[in-house]
Amino acid sequence: MRITNDAKLATRQRILEASRRLFARDGFDGASTRDVAREAGIAAGTLFNYFSTKESVALSLAAEALGAARDGYERKRRGEESLEEDLFAYIAGCLRSLKPLRCCVRPVLEGALSPLAASTSAPEGESLRTDHLEIIGSILARHGQTEPSCVTLHLYWMLFTGVLAFWLEDSSPHQEDTLALLDQALKMFVGSLPEPVADPSKPSPAKETSHEPQPRGTARRSAGG
Amino acid sequence: MSPNLAELLAALPAVEGEPDASEGTAQLQQLFSRMGHRRVPVGTLQRLGTLGALQAQIFLAYSAWWVRSWFRSAERNEQALAETHLRVALQLLAGMGYLRGAVMKAGQTLANLPGVVPDEIVETLEHLHFQAPPMHFSLLREHVCNELGGEPEEVFAEFDARAFAAASLGQVHRARLKSGEEAAVKVQYPGIGSTIRADFRNLFALMLPLRVSKDWENLKAQLEDLRRVLEWETDYEKEAEFQRKARALFREDDRIIVPRVFEQHSTRRVLTAERLSGVHVNDFLAGNPPQELRDHFGALLGRAWYRLFFSGRVNYADLHPGNFLFQSDGRLGLLDFGCVRPFSDREWELMRLSMRAVDGNHEDLVRYLKRSVALAEDASIDPEHLRVLERLCAWSWRPIRCRESFDFSNGQILSEGVEVFREMTRKRFTRGEPLCVFAARMFFGLFSMLYRLRARVPLRAIGEEEARAAGEEVED
Repeated sequence: MRITNDAKLATRQRILEASRRLFARDGFDGASTRDVAREAGIAAGTLFNYFSTKESVALSLAAEALGAARDGYERKRRGEESLEEDLFAYIAGCLRSLKPLRCCVRPVLEGALSPLAASTSAPEGESLRTDHLEIIGSILARHGQTEPSCVTLHLYWMLFTGVLAFWLEDSSPHQEDTLALLDQALKMFVGSLPEPVADPSKPSPAKETSHEPQPRGTARRSAGG
Repeated sequence: MSPNLAELLAALPAVEGEPDASEGTAQLQQLFSRMGHRRVPVGTLQRLGTLGALQAQIFLAYSAWWVRSWFRSAERNEQALAETHLRVALQLLAGMGYLRGAVMKAGQTLANLPGVVPDEIVETLEHLHFQAPPMHFSLLREHVCNELGGEPEEVFAEFDARAFAAASLGQVHRARLKSGEEAAVKVQYPGIGSTIRADFRNLFALMLPLRVSKDWENLKAQLEDLRRVLEWETDYEKEAEFQRKARALFREDDRIIVPRVFEQHSTRRVLTAERLSGVHVNDFLAGNPPQELRDHFGALLGRAWYRLFFSGRVNYADLHPGNFLFQSDGRLGLLDFGCVRPFSDREWELMRLSMRAVDGNHEDLVRYLKRSVALAEDASIDPEHLRVLERLCAWSWRPIRCRESFDFSNGQILSEGVEVFREMTRKRFTRGEPLCVFAARMFFGLFSMLYRLRARVPLRAIGEEEARAAGEEVED
């Protein structure tokens, strides 16, 4: 019987949903491909028609989550953010989307996203990295960094994967230490960038707004606490 | 233009019997240039890593000077080791951004003391009250979402994305609850709690060379107490609890108001409370208020402190100008309960001993002073140490011993306090119950606020009234 495209997509989605449930319940290592196949209601061998390895499944879940993060980021942008804040908003959104998958991000990081991972070993990983950097490139361009150098992008990728690695081990409440790390790391990263290039044909990048509040006790205010 | 560190060092008061300021300046320049690994340009000093706040530089100047005095008579190799430790400790302190909050309070105290630092430095200190790094809205939104279960725009009817005030470890935003109340939402910078713990571990290790000092155990106790209070300040649930208890202590006719906490919108890192109207002390004074109004608010300030002390059994130690609101109807708003230190039973007994000693005989005084420096009653005390402690008590109790209104307007009480503390530091009489160190901070804060107001306050009468109301025995 010929399987339609829709049927294939539906099966693929069932595999992903089943994996999401099992990884959350049993952890990445605790859930085998056989378990996933059973949960998805397919034969064990059929799973490999869709995903070559369990890591590929995890990568696809991560890619879905990051896609949702991008949509969320675009929705919430106010247009007045500084570069630092813009980058923070996007990366923090990625972390928030990946949170339900925290148990299986490590193999994704180690196997595909890490700077040490060979690009040929995880083509899905390369695709995920490329998509992410495209978004970063567009954020940088919006703030006058129209042609980020290879060094800049490489530095950024080290920052992003470093923050991911920290986040995976972060046992602080709500991983608040990661938020602080991300904030401070982005300050350093943005500080390392060259002065933005002014393009007379394009509107000026969003002015760097100061988010420093008034000092205590010196301004008229209505406050409690 | 802000004064540079060399100018500040030159402005430091000369200490009797110590090398003059120029020698100290040169020594510190050498130390900082070694830290920066390059030659320091003439007339300026190296900025230390991420250190930007002027107050932190002032603190470092003082602390470097003070700590160096410990090793002035040591052997050369001990001195070199101490220099290394000091250098690393300073680098660590430079990174402890939140600690600027604690040390900034020393800077703020300096700002309130007449004649200690030049006026232009005072002005700079007053404008640099921000301690924790500022949070842009994306960071704040993420943090609030984690804490309150939704983004600010979802949880509140209105939320001002721009902070309108700084707090010790975070910042404050205007908001309106869905039920209509106007609120102030204090959000703490993420991760400060674990940073404090890690940094104090490191700082403690760096201070181990001081363990040969006879006061090492006491120094450890004071450092531990400071760490504990700083960690308390990171726990807004604790602060909310103190604030609720404090609010319950005041009636409408006291004319002192503590904002209501909104529990549903408060967590360990977010504190949402009623937003009060009013102005801070600088704006109040800019209106050139008449003496009666200054005296009125001075009395309210005194009463607020004594009510918390006797009825609340807490030391409200953070008497910072930003913690008081002067309302147009004559009420005083009391804010920020992050630096509140409750008394244990043992500490309250020590306080009772001090109250008896205020009007008691010399025997009462000596008994109290020995306990205040953690000595047993039958232990001997250095006569010079005793004399300096007696001087400290005479200073801090002078307004309380005055049976009429005490006039804080000439600032002499503050200058005397500075002299007492300088003598204590110079002679290394820094041993003390942590509680008593806090009490000293409180006295400076209270006197400097009352000096600012140029108020005349019947502090003794207010204290006795509050003590009796709390069931304490007060001799007529």
